Amino acid sequence: MTDQMHYRFPPAAAYRLNRCLFALKSDDEFRARFLKDARAAMGELGLEAEHAAAVLRGDRDALLAHGAHPYLVFMADLRLRMEREPVSFEFF
Amino acid sequence: MLVGAFACAHTPQLLARPGTEDRDLVLRVHAAFARVKRRLEALRADAIAIVAGDHVEAFFLDSVPALAVYVGTECRGTFAHYRYRFPIHEPLARTIVEQGVERGFDLFYTQAAPLDYAFYVPLHFTMPEPAVPIVPLHVNVYLPPQPTPRRCYEWGRALGEIVRARPERVVLMASGGMSHFPGTDRYASPEFEYDRRLLAALKEGRGRELAAVTGEELDKMGNIELRTWATLLGALDDAKADVYCYEPSWHHGNAVVEWPA
Repeated sequence: MTDQMHYRFPPAAAYRLNRCLFALKSDDEFRARFLKDARAAMGELGLEAEHAAAVLRGDRDALLAHGAHPYLVFMADLRLRMEREPVSFEFF
Repeated sequence: MLVGAFACAHTPQLLARPGTEDRDLVLRVHAAFARVKRRLEALRADAIAIVAGDHVEAFFLDSVPALAVYVGTECRGTFAHYRYRFPIHEPLARTIVEQGVERGFDLFYTQAAPLDYAFYVPLHFTMPEPAVPIVPLHVNVYLPPQPTPRRCYEWGRALGEIVRARPERVVLMASGGMSHFPGTDRYASPEFEYDRRLLAALKEGRGRELAAVTGEELDKMGNIELRTWATLLGALDDAKADVYCYEPSWHHGNAVVEWPA
């Protein structure tokens, strides 16, 4: 396993960042709080300022550089978009 | 006994389709799922043992099992507005975890973990009527270091032997694949040719070749989820695949496949 992999070992320094992305993906209540006041929601998890700024910008490259898991970045973004634009999905 | 084996794509866009997705393509994959559903009814399955990779839903970085068995009485989960629950075939699940450990696989088990959409999407579309209980089997695909394809294949061989010795009519289902790169800069350029070559090999009964593939190669080809297929193939010797569909979208190789048990 190398650093060139698409899916790399998530560094422990990014644990809280990944915890935040995980919560955006899977925790409906956290996502609702985030949509209401993102900074306050991220404050609950003790995110570092630099990590929080990257989440606020939705800056994938910066998030990955900080050690965010690509899948969590992807699905956190998708779930936020589903909340913001629910009518654009066809549910089967 | 083992009565059938299937692999099904589970990309969530098949369930909740955004405007970016080709509706006709999605419906063609749904048609292949409908064929699986009819086959499950014809096979008179008593249970579906479904091998999927949890998408960091049940298992976050707090605990990362390589191989896990869900052994509760039922399992449930959510995705978007979907709220789903399935009874677990508890005697079969217990046998799998107990005999799996007996055979040298240090399995993680859970009686309460939430069920990820990787399990739900195929079940949503293929669950026979009347519905049957399931046994969810997790293979870590997303959190490195993942189990090697060879280890998955060996676990699948043991799983096949355990299931074949049971009185129930069991269908094995692998959820996942094929090539896709969510969250990376390769998202819009999967390795469809790799998928096609692999499907051609599987049609010829060369499933054991997947056991020899490295984790690096799977990552490079956007196919980390094929560890679930490697697990399934371990139970099937050299059975020849019947490819119901291969539908490459702009970001995902969607395959639905059956193997004779």
